[in-house]
Amino acid sequence: MPDSWQQANRDHKAAHHELLTLTASSDRCLRTVWLNPFDNQLSVAEMEITQGCFPSLAVNLPETAWDEREIHDMFGWTPTGHPDLRPLIRTPRWPEAYFPLRKSQQMPQWLEVEPDLPSLKVEGDGVTIMKVGPTHAGIIESGHFIFSLIGENILHLDAHLFQNHRGVEALLEDTTVNEVAPLVTRICAADTVSNQTNWASAVERLAGFTPAPRTVLQRIILLEAERILSHLNDLAQIPAGVGFQVAHQRALALKESWQRSLEFLYGHRFLFDTVHPGWTRSAPADLLLNSLANLRRHWVPWRQLVVGHHGFADRMGGIGQTTLAQIDRFGAQGVAARAAGKTFDARQSTAYYEGFFTGPVTRSAGDVQARFDVRLDEVEASMQIIESAAGQLEIESPTEPEFLAPKDLSGRIVTFTESPHGLNSHDVTLSNGNVFRYHIRSAPFRNWPLLAQTVAGNAVADFPLINKSFELCYSCTDR
Amino acid sequence: MAKAIRSLQIRHVDAGSCNGCEQELTALTGRDYDIQRHGIDIVASPRHADSLIVTGPVTDTMALPLERVWETIPRPRVRIAFGNCAIGTGVFQRAYASHGGLADSDIEIPGCPPHPETALRLLSEWMTSHQRNRQTYVSKVTNLGNC
Ligand code: SF4
Repeated sequence: MPDSWQQANRDHKAAHHELLTLTASSDRCLRTVWLNPFDNQLSVAEMEITQGCFPSLAVNLPETAWDEREIHDMFGWTPTGHPDLRPLIRTPRWPEAYFPLRKSQQMPQWLEVEPDLPSLKVEGDGVTIMKVGPTHAGIIESGHFIFSLIGENILHLDAHLFQNHRGVEALLEDTTVNEVAPLVTRICAADTVSNQTNWASAVERLAGFTPAPRTVLQRIILLEAERILSHLNDLAQIPAGVGFQVAHQRALALKESWQRSLEFLYGHRFLFDTVHPGWTRSAPADLLLNSLANLRRHWVPWRQLVVGHHGFADRMGGIGQTTLAQIDRFGAQGVAARAAGKTFDARQSTAYYEGFFTGPVTRSAGDVQARFDVRLDEVEASMQIIESAAGQLEIESPTEPEFLAPKDLSGRIVTFTESPHGLNSHDVTLSNGNVFRYHIRSAPFRNWPLLAQTVAGNAVADFPLINKSFELCYSCTDR
Repeated sequence: MAKAIRSLQIRHVDAGSCNGCEQELTALTGRDYDIQRHGIDIVASPRHADSLIVTGPVTDTMALPLERVWETIPRPRVRIAFGNCAIGTGVFQRAYASHGGLADSDIEIPGCPPHPETALRLLSEWMTSHQRNRQTYVSKVTNLGNC
């Protein structure tokens, strides 16, 4: 079995499949789920964990290195042959025998020690160590970065994340089907609609329920509205990284006006609690189109400002470059991957996007500029998708079938969407109307190790800029 | 003579937020809300601050760094819980690595996340209704030597 486990997963990678999830569950089942982007089929590889060990995939498939460390931390099972088994989420404050995802664990008694973990640094003449975080000099999520510098340049970055680890997956395992939605909504404010949609489709598919065409259209609109919101935020942060304040402030204002529209249309500035199993909050097509027209009026001159600014282009070009080979090796996703030429966007593998999604936006340079440009084009593509979906809303019947999740709903399913950050997958197991296991794998989890590689060789002063151009989320990585 | 507080210099610490609260804090600094015109600002160092704003339910890993930031802020100082998670009424309250919000807060700004307008109103109201007592101010300042 171990051989075939490694072989099966290597084969998927060799066939250019996308890894949706790699996780374990308390019944000692280890499982990967791969998406074949050519025929949109999912394949599962499984093995049983015996004697607390399983053969590591990380040497051949570096993208699995963090998943395996997570399993090691959360279940206490060891991936044998893993090249770097330092704790990822655990800190020295965790009681030794505490493994949150094994069943029937008591609430932990934290040890009275510092949470810091040993860091990986470069030693030698002229090397300076610079530590940043976990608290930061601005409004930023918490993360701890240990830079090894030579002169102005970064030799190595050891990123210690998971400061924001709340224990969401374990919390979800305590809930009934009806209690999940408010938690899933709040895993991450930037990917909330994507997370909500993954949960809603998981329940619907396990129950054998097909949502009405109108519900599906409203979901497409919400997913794209969220993409616009999140991309506007990221597009505002990149100019801030080079001190281009006019572009920064005007983009924040664009974002604010879009948030006001969303609040008016859907009752929430971030679209929390809008997608539920069986139904979706809806907005009238004419109001939606008005809001979009209003956004466009301000978007067009802003876009002209940023694309026509040579100083800005000079600061972005050639900075924080990634190659397609690196993207493949790390299984990177989303804007960062497409900016280096990867032609994958999970919307192309999502049946209900057919007729709306016109293909991934790509660039080839893989630098800050490319990541900025991909977002610019994706915002416009999302506006078009909303317009055509809103147009169709008119012709769909307004009646929607009632849906109530069966009380004894059971089964295991993997659902995914393209969130603003990239491929976002949920691996959900329900047993008798209760959550048995809930695993969330977001794109930033795959992209963080790539970011650490990318910054090496760049000036440390450009780290904020490169970081902002990846705009990786902490909360959906840390959970 | 007692006076209303006319400025708040805030140091922000994220202690497990979903990033919604951070985004609304950022919105407060943008041109539409412009907290600076109310005398409020987010500052880069706790030593320049007279208040701490916390988002998130206070994860175990952030609990000590958070208290260290608080210790570094000169007295008198104010603790602000921003959002339901930080107040202790959020959805992650029962999660194992959550400490259930910020203890002993002076100002609570509810919402998930709080609307920037609500945040601005509550902070301004608190500033006008609170009198900075000179006596406490002087006596507490002598504690500064420790930090
Ligand atoms: S209060 Fe709501 S928006 Fe703020 S961190 Fe908690 S879940 Fe996120």
